Amino acid sequence: MTSAPSKSPMRSARRSMWTTAAIMLLPAIIALALLRLWPSISAIVTSLQPTGDRPVWYTFARLFSDPTFLNSLKVTLLFSVIVNPLQIALALWLAVTLSKRVPAVGLWRTLILLPVAVPQTVSAIVWAVAFRPEGPLNGVINALGLPSVPFLISPSTALLSIVVVCSWVGVGYWMTFLVAGIKDIPKSLYEAAGMDGAGPWRSFLHITLPGLRRPLMFVLVADTVSNFLVFAPVQILTQGGPQGSTDLIMNQVFERAYVTGDMATASAGTVVLIAIVLAVVTLQFKLLPGKE
Amino acid sequence: METATKAETRSGRRALWIAIPAAVLSVLPLVWALSSALRPSDEVFRYLYPLSWHTLIPETVTFDNFVTLLGGEFHWALINSVIVAFLSVVLGTFLSATAAFALAVLRFPGRGPVFGVLVLSFLIPFEAIAIPLATTFRAMEMQNTYIGLVLPGIGSGLAIFLLRQFFMNIPPSLAEAARIDGLSWWGVFRHIYLPLSRPSLVGAGLVVFVFQWQSFLWPLLIAPDPAMKVAPVAIADFAGELGVDYGQMFAGAILAAGVPLLVLLIFQRQFTASLASSGTKE
Repeated sequence: MTSAPSKSPMRSARRSMWTTAAIMLLPAIIALALLRLWPSISAIVTSLQPTGDRPVWYTFARLFSDPTFLNSLKVTLLFSVIVNPLQIALALWLAVTLSKRVPAVGLWRTLILLPVAVPQTVSAIVWAVAFRPEGPLNGVINALGLPSVPFLISPSTALLSIVVVCSWVGVGYWMTFLVAGIKDIPKSLYEAAGMDGAGPWRSFLHITLPGLRRPLMFVLVADTVSNFLVFAPVQILTQGGPQGSTDLIMNQVFERAYVTGDMATASAGTVVLIAIVLAVVTLQFKLLPGKE
Repeated sequence: METATKAETRSGRRALWIAIPAAVLSVLPLVWALSSALRPSDEVFRYLYPLSWHTLIPETVTFDNFVTLLGGEFHWALINSVIVAFLSVVLGTFLSATAAFALAVLRFPGRGPVFGVLVLSFLIPFEAIAIPLATTFRAMEMQNTYIGLVLPGIGSGLAIFLLRQFFMNIPPSLAEAARIDGLSWWGVFRHIYLPLSRPSLVGAGLVVFVFQWQSFLWPLLIAPDPAMKVAPVAIADFAGELGVDYGQMFAGAILAAGVPLLVLLIFQRQFTASLASSGTKE
């Protein structure tokens, strides 16, 4: 190692490895830095732009004293509190069900997964027609002898309608992660529990749930993040209305940037959104031990 | 398989009571959209309310909606979507594979910080920063171009993670032996790692494909020109129009959903496998 003749080929081999690494990594690094980091920094800079002798946090102060923005935070929070537990509970229920010895199980799984492939805009316009006052959903509801539901028209049901559209796609998607997780739980655990006389409910509580801890945490966080970013269904179905009842934060930022033309508060809104998302994701890294 | 007990079979059959309704609910909106696309335009709303058998099964089947729709501007939107998705998948998979190979196999100074940048950018969801990014892209005159539409799809942190994970499981002794035989690092990448990772490459390609085909906010911001519209934006336009032809709208919906459905059905195994390994197995 220390003698001169053996050192130089080692060094050149190492240098060729470094050059290759640089060439292979540069495009991805540039792409990610330019497409993710740069816009985040530019949003922070725009939102902190000094205007006259006002303090740097002026834009944030303006944003947080604006009732429409506060309403959109409230709506986003309400939406999260409803949609995340609902989707995860349904996904878990279906995953457990479809991990049993169900006849033609592959067919059911494929059919439940199908909506995942459907573009959000397509699902939004299909549901838009389904939700019409004289649409097929009210047709079913009336056939059951119940009064019509004013799905997208009333502030009290519009947000729930968005929840339905998002869950039609979401449940099958998140179910797939949980099915994979359940498959990884050793069958012998269930057999042993069965011999000890444990019923399906006890097996679920003491074997499935602990065994699913990691995939379940992942689904919880990834689902929460994706539901903070819902945009297409709101933009197509309600544009945030009626009376701001579906004004999720992505729609709010979009409107500030392109309808009101207020880039400063739009950027501040983006910063708030990124901060929320990063906080949720950091929580995941804190709660999941043994990660890189 | 032969160890199935009677109790297991019974509980499996009982599970059908949940599986079948869930599958029906998942597929029903699509079946209804298809049947609406296949009927004459003026019949789309005829059987919606009150319900009848014709709500799901058209009285007269016609392909007129598809013919009229594709004869108009919509076929450009479909072609644009295909071009954007294809370019993104090819470029995105290649870019992710080389980056993943460097991170998984090569030893170089600064590997830690580089990986840190990737993790950080992976954590920032694209939709969150789409609006400030669109301002930058417009300043760089990239609006209404394929480059502008494709670029955000190729930098996929998720695809890099998937491939890196897979590459790290390939025994390094293979690469060492090939290096001693005089193969370059690019040769190791091309002749050893790529052929061994075909399923993961398909998985990474699917991640990029699904992202691009779903993409709505970004093309809405960056490619508003009618000639550069992609299918999801063209579909959304139907919802905003007054006096829209609903038969054609459903035909467009079926076409825009049909391409990814086909891809999903062909690659379902890789799709679910790539989903499953993306977040849960670290």
